[in-house]
Amino acid sequence: MLPPKPSPLNLYTLLHTYLHRLLCFATLVLLQALVFGHIHIAGCAIPMPYVYFLLLLPSDTSRSQYLLWGFTLGFAVDMCGITPGMASASMTLTALLTPYLVRIFSPSDKGDEAYLPSAKTMQWGPFLRCAFCLVLCHTFTFYLIEAFSLHNAWLLLVNTVGTTALTLLLIAAAERVRTR
Amino acid sequence: MQVLLDFIRRYVHIFLFVLLETMSAVMLFRFNNYQGSAWLSGLNTVTVGLGSLHEQTLAYFRLQSVNTRLTADNIRLQHEADSLREALARATHQPAVTERRLMATLSGYRLIPATVVSNSIRRDNNYLVINRGAADGVRSEMGVVASGGVVGIVYLTAPHHALVLPVTNVKSSISCRVRGQHYFGYLQWKSGSSRHAFVDDIPRYAKVKPGACIETSGYSAVFPPGLFVGRVKRVGNSPDGQSYQLDVVLGNDFADLHDVAVIATPYRAEIDTLQTHAAAEALTP
Repeated sequence: MLPPKPSPLNLYTLLHTYLHRLLCFATLVLLQALVFGHIHIAGCAIPMPYVYFLLLLPSDTSRSQYLLWGFTLGFAVDMCGITPGMASASMTLTALLTPYLVRIFSPSDKGDEAYLPSAKTMQWGPFLRCAFCLVLCHTFTFYLIEAFSLHNAWLLLVNTVGTTALTLLLIAAAERVRTR
Repeated sequence: MQVLLDFIRRYVHIFLFVLLETMSAVMLFRFNNYQGSAWLSGLNTVTVGLGSLHEQTLAYFRLQSVNTRLTADNIRLQHEADSLREALARATHQPAVTERRLMATLSGYRLIPATVVSNSIRRDNNYLVINRGAADGVRSEMGVVASGGVVGIVYLTAPHHALVLPVTNVKSSISCRVRGQHYFGYLQWKSGSSRHAFVDDIPRYAKVKPGACIETSGYSAVFPPGLFVGRVKRVGNSPDGQSYQLDVVLGNDFADLHDVAVIATPYRAEIDTLQTHAAAEALTP
């Protein structure tokens, strides 16, 4: 049995959704490449707010789509920066975990119903916890790949903590603006 | 096939994840010198470790044949060590007075060295088997001696072995005399201890004291005169009371007999005996 033919209204909604995502995607990549990629606070904290993009995807997004979006975003960041392979590898891993984390921190009133993760739908606490887990995973993986050893574990820890805190702050600010 | 397709569909995100991570890794190692060299170095370490493990595993499975070879080598080396030890013992052996005297007595004779391969001392009819036979020149009725004196007489010969009738056989009877005197008797063994035998028919007027040497008399074609047999321990009466019976401690310990020699010179003993008797006759007025 063939799937139902999309109506013009559905097609418009789909197009709008994807255009909106692409816009967010491009904005985050450009911001990272032009602004945040050049910020090194105390030599140990680099903001990486592009992880926020994974939280903009609805909860019913397939796991393969999460992976593809995560890898593409990381690849784009790598191409704009000087870290070929690092962001894409860490973003792919983070994208693999995202659906599980979104499900764990989903609001109780939603059940299995799809929702758009945000501070409004999830409340600030769960949203920030979910964002923290994602950012921590991404940051730790990124710095681990960059160092490629555990000889300087202390520096790895400091970089991870600093970048996670700074990134989480930026994500919270962006979320505040978005949900106002 | 359907199961396989279902499996792939179910875990497609895992396959996709592995694929994307592989692509990221290729980029990482291709375009980052540090990570690339660290990866190669790590890969080398792993390869060497795996190679070593593989080699160790193969070596473990080769242990069976190595063990067999080592066992064979071990046996061969033990035999070699034993024969070398024996050769060394022979080379560094310091002969005792009895042995030196024996060797001096037998200096003109051809001796065939032999080793005792079978020995018995517990029965009445004890026998020895030596590892020399007819192929080596050993014949019946040849005398056999050891470092402690007379051992016995060759009884039967095979190509490579010979049976010896030792002094410690009740059928053995060897003509002996007391050294320095002309009284003679026959050495006989009466079972019991392998260190003791008796010389009968010594006249009562003979002056024999304990400690006197008993030697072969030469009244046979087997042993030349003067070969040490043993020492008198006790002088007693013979069963008929007409003569003395000498209790003799044998020079050889038959329980620990190893190296012997066969007196192989034919008729030499006969000739020596004749010469001895001739000399004795000439001296007698």
